[in-house]
Amino acid sequence: MRRGAIILASLALCAAASAGIAQNTDEALTPARDFSGVWTTYRDPGSPPTAAGPIAAPPKAPFTAEGERRKAEYDKITGNDGSTPGSLGGDNPGAHCVPYGMPTMMQSAGGYPIEFIMRPEQLTMIYEVESETRRVYMPGHGVAPEKRLPVRQGYSEGRWEGDTLVVTTTDLTDGVDQRTYPHSDQAKIVERFHLVPDAKVGKILEYEATMTDPVYYTAPVHFTKRWMPLKDGHIMAYNCTEEPWLRLLDARRKQLEAGQPVTATMKDVIDVYN
Amino acid sequence: MKRPFLVLAAAAVLAAPAAAHHSAAMFDFRSPHTAKGVVKMIEVINPHSHIAMTITDKKGTRVWTFEGHSASNFYRAGFNRGAVKPGDTISITYAPMRDGSDGGYIVAFTTPKGDKVGFDPPG
Repeated sequence: MRRGAIILASLALCAAASAGIAQNTDEALTPARDFSGVWTTYRDPGSPPTAAGPIAAPPKAPFTAEGERRKAEYDKITGNDGSTPGSLGGDNPGAHCVPYGMPTMMQSAGGYPIEFIMRPEQLTMIYEVESETRRVYMPGHGVAPEKRLPVRQGYSEGRWEGDTLVVTTTDLTDGVDQRTYPHSDQAKIVERFHLVPDAKVGKILEYEATMTDPVYYTAPVHFTKRWMPLKDGHIMAYNCTEEPWLRLLDARRKQLEAGQPVTATMKDVIDVYN
Repeated sequence: MKRPFLVLAAAAVLAAPAAAHHSAAMFDFRSPHTAKGVVKMIEVINPHSHIAMTITDKKGTRVWTFEGHSASNFYRAGFNRGAVKPGDTISITYAPMRDGSDGGYIVAFTTPKGDKVGFDPPG
């Protein structure tokens, strides 16, 4: 029995070596490079807790005339008259169960925590709202350009500069609904992540983002952020409203109980589909 | 199995106006009001929670629907599962509607046990 297992293991090793699996060029995850954990927006210990975190108003962005026009139109469409800051100033994707997208997600819109899961070949980031997910592919693990599906979160590749992770994001869809930094599908975002030890909270994840977009901006826009470990370590599940689906099930159940054909569709229960 | 659909049916009736409240610009966060009433429906859900309460004031007795932060924010702000149920009498602090109509955005409330669940105003 045991001899058989040893022979099998040796065979497997030989097969792996000949298939080139042993040629792993991924850079090791040293403690200084391991951002894994659940993070929340940095707050000086002792300051009062906040349930919802508004994003600080950015300095006036260097909009092009076209960027200005698109932003003004969006504000009109969403009812943002500038009287209420943050998430409550007008309609926004999150209020409709749509993920925030980039870069709003990284501004911790609404003040929610974010989880980082780090492997040598990939960083996965999960923002609590909508469990919105970004994947950052390290060298050798990327997706070919013709296979990238443009999405609100874009497509991200990472590389190390010392212990700073530099992430470049492209292949974004139009981002007119991004909260403080709207952008077109031509936008490119470069982010830098770096861990620093901290006497009070243990460690701080420092972050900066620079976005260029020839359609919206005459110069790059830039913002910084700091996260600290979330004290209780938990990120919550976030299923957005299930009401339309539950209403549909309820309508069909009533039809079934009444001996009628089960024909209800979304437009029968939610007037937005009419 | 049955309970969620009862709650849902109540929500479908009561939340009809609230469902349209996706933009919160109609709430006045500068001058919060406080009211006491009997909870008719509470939904702690994402993206926004809702509480319907029977409230009596000078104009009479009506059911008001309040909108509030997400389920995640409710739990982090001190809400515990089942802490408020239909039939409970609670005190609620809310940002009133700018147009003066019934309802508002939940700023804080106190559970029957006396736990205060409070949210930061936007800004």
